This record gives sequence, C-alpha cells and structure tokens, in this order.
Amino acid sequence: MKQKKIHKVFIDGPINPDFIAEAIAKHSDKKNIGAHSLFLGQVRNDKIGDDEVTAIEYTSYHEMAEEKFHEIREDAFTHFSLICMHIYHSLGKVNAGEISLLVFTSAIHRADAIDACEAIVERIKKDVPVWGKEIFSNENSQWKTNN
Amino acid sequence: MEINVLTFGQVTDITAETSLKIPDVKNTDELIQLLEKTYPALKSIQYSIAVNRKMIQENTMLQNEDTVAILPPFSGG
Repeated sequence: MKQKKIHKVFIDGPINPDFIAEAIAKHSDKKNIGAHSLFLGQVRNDKIGDDEVTAIEYTSYHEMAEEKFHEIREDAFTHFSLICMHIYHSLGKVNAGEISLLVFTSAIHRADAIDACEAIVERIKKDVPVWGKEIFSNENSQWKTNN
Repeated sequence: MEINVLTFGQVTDITAETSLKIPDVKNTDELIQLLEKTYPALKSIQYSIAVNRKMIQENTMLQNEDTVAILPPFSGG
C-alpha cells in the first residue's frame, strides 16, 4: 500500500513573508519547472460602522481539515499537470495586513500552475473546516463568512 | 452506547462546550433533535454534520463511540 505522506499545512500565527521567499527559493533546483503560481490571502480591515477588523482568529477541526487538505492535494495532482504544490494556512491570531493563506503550485507551463492554484483556493474556502473570528478595534467579534 | 459530539465556531458559542457525550441516540436525526431541544439557539443557525470526519447529507445510523461534529459554515482562507 502506498504510504500516505503527511504534509504539514497549519502554521501558528501569520505566514511570514520570509517563509514565502524561502519556499520559492527551495524550488531553484527543480529545473523542469517553468511556472509558479502563488495565492496569498491577507487579513483585511473590513469596516462596520466606526469599527474595523484588527485581526482574525482562526480555529479548525484539525483531524478533518488535515484529511481535506490531503484530498484537495490528491485531486489537484489528478486534474492538473503539476510538478509540486504547497498549502499553508494560519491558525490562531493573524493581524490585518498579515498573510493567513499560501497556495503555491508549480508546473512546466503557466496554465496548469494558475488553474490549479485557483481551484485549490476555491476548494479550501468551501470544503475545509476552518473558521475565522473577526476581532474588532472595540474588542467585539463576529464569525467571518466566506463569499 | 455513547456518541462524542464536537462543536466549533458559532456552535460552541451556543453549547458553551467543545465536546459533549450523548448517550442512547440511534441516528443523527435523533441526535440533532436532542441537541436542538437542549440548545434551542441551534435552530437559528446554519450548520452541517460530519460523522467520523465525513460530511453527511442524510440521516445516518450511529455506532457506539462515533464522533459527530456540528460544523457551522466554513470561513477559512
């Protein structure tokens, strides 16, 4: 039986831009790659009346989320001609202006990288049990809804 | 016969517990009926149900020690 490789997806707190730069740099030895596509989700300071979102606090159903990420990964490799892909999602508090999601796909040609990246982001928003609680400047909070 | 119930997000705001042990329910419909009776505010929110980490759409038979998660709409990313 093929062994299931576990890919660590969750990161405590925001995704550091240096981490993203390093993730890109790590691909320089894979010289058959012709295109990378990166999606970065950033926490936005939505305004409601006089208040604005200062952070999002992420929680998950960890075991199920890991399984879903694995399924999304397998499906992406089935449907697109990818050389590699990486998903990182924050847990815990991420301030407005910081990065909470990185989807990084690499392929020989750009169409596969771009289309896979978009499909993966849509699946993450729809299928992965993660919840964001928006924290406001007045310390109120509300559960985020995805569009 | 005992079912483990896990709650998340808005659902936890209502139940005030992240996990509950519910005895003597045969299927998910019975479980939901019981939960909505105990926590009437559940009726006013949207949620989905996962049995042993798999989403279900229909009434599902439960076995001893099954884990049922009550999942409000996802909002990751």
